[in-house]
Amino acid sequence: MDIRKRRYALVIDSRKCINCKACVVACKAENGVPIGNFRNWITADRQGEYPKLRIDFEPEQCHHCEHPSCVRVCPTGASWQRKDGVVLVYADDCIGCRYCMVACPYDARYFHEESGTVHKCTLCSHRVDKGEVPACVETCPSKVRVFGDLEDPSSRLHELLATRRHHVKEPQTGNGPQLYYLL
Amino acid sequence: MHELNWGLLIVVYLFLGGLSAGLFFAAGLANYLEVDGQPAYPRIARMGALLAPWPVALGSALLILDLGNWYRFYKLFTHFRWESPMSIGSWLLTLFTVIAFVYAFAWLPEEWRRSLFAKVPATWKQVHRLNVDLAPHRKTLAMIGFPFSIGVGIYTGVLLGAVSARPFWNTNLVAQMFLFSALSSGAAALLLAMVLDKRNPIETHETKFLITLDIVFISLELFIILPYLIHGQLSVLAVKQALWLILGGPYTVVFWVFFLGLGLLTPLAIEVYELAPSLLKDRVFHGNRSLALAASSLVLVGGFLLRYIFVYAGQLSSFHKLGMLR
Repeated sequence: MDIRKRRYALVIDSRKCINCKACVVACKAENGVPIGNFRNWITADRQGEYPKLRIDFEPEQCHHCEHPSCVRVCPTGASWQRKDGVVLVYADDCIGCRYCMVACPYDARYFHEESGTVHKCTLCSHRVDKGEVPACVETCPSKVRVFGDLEDPSSRLHELLATRRHHVKEPQTGNGPQLYYLL
Repeated sequence: MHELNWGLLIVVYLFLGGLSAGLFFAAGLANYLEVDGQPAYPRIARMGALLAPWPVALGSALLILDLGNWYRFYKLFTHFRWESPMSIGSWLLTLFTVIAFVYAFAWLPEEWRRSLFAKVPATWKQVHRLNVDLAPHRKTLAMIGFPFSIGVGIYTGVLLGAVSARPFWNTNLVAQMFLFSALSSGAAALLLAMVLDKRNPIETHETKFLITLDIVFISLELFIILPYLIHGQLSVLAVKQALWLILGGPYTVVFWVFFLGLGLLTPLAIEVYELAPSLLKDRVFHGNRSLALAASSLVLVGGFLLRYIFVYAGQLSSFHKLGMLR
């Protein structure tokens, strides 16, 4: 058994994103996300008028923060964080108060009507634990998403973060988001 | 992706929780005040004590019904997480409700208590052992309850204020604002109940006491709201943008006209109009019944609207949408 410390994260090269939404569809299929709810999505920010026109696509989802405010506010401990950084909801302890949804700066969670609990991106931990990559990462045709372990110096993710300029979203909330957007 | 996760039930609960806290505080205070060794406001103390537990009990029931899985609410008490305001709050709320019920029991008139226990089968001996007169312990009970009532009043604000992701809430003023609003609502509800109780008409000195109390609380609330607005405007962009929700945005009218104008300044004006002549010009305090009725109802409307505005506007505010103003 490998007991090396892990810290999973995503690097997102949003300049490569073509807004095809394959990641969204793959996620919905992989995780059985209900109609009307999303665990990931793409924002389209259009600026200017033709011909001086620009549009930015940015994939969004749970940032699996270092200090997740959703975990802090959860009154029952149903929202929790694995040692490898993945933020999950333990459904059996979730009472459906939705405090975590209110507390998430990225609005990354949704209320699952059928079970009365809160659902969110699991970073496809069921796949990751088998050595695979998350469904959104695997499916992306333009290779926007790079999944990896921050503690692993040989990973592609590590190389990208070492060599490319990048930023995280809303660091001022103090959550320590772990989705790195390349500039 | 953004939607409102907390709706009207939460607003009602925050209002009712604060109302109970305020009722208990005003009643407990009235219990402590004496003139020439005699209790000065025994009827206010009794009315407040008897009313205090009910709003919070109803509010907690609504809170539980609002959960996605209401039958799992017991999990709030099987896990204690000191970092979560809701976890601390649910304990605080429960303890306060119990104390408020015990305090109400201590104020039950002798005959009410007898007829209550007369309904319990005589064979239930353990229940009948509870048939004790707690009247001598009223002051102790009030003293135990004070911190809990203040705690519940503050907690309703902290629940929102502790959310760092919502710049509309995340200031150090929301907790006090909710506390003073709660205390003011309590005093107003007590005044309303006393005025409406036709069998025992309210006396002038009682009206004067409650009006004075409410003026103090409303003024304190006002002194929190002003810095909240000023500070927010002088703060970082996200807070400034969040304040836009009540300064031009969708909640502007309800904030300025209905909450601040109708629910805060109008009752304050009425109460000052009633009280000032007796304070400044040595005239007799009349205690006009209709004016007391109007002022107290408006305070309650204002207290409700404050929570409505904060719950709704707060959820719309976000660091994430810096383009909100566009």
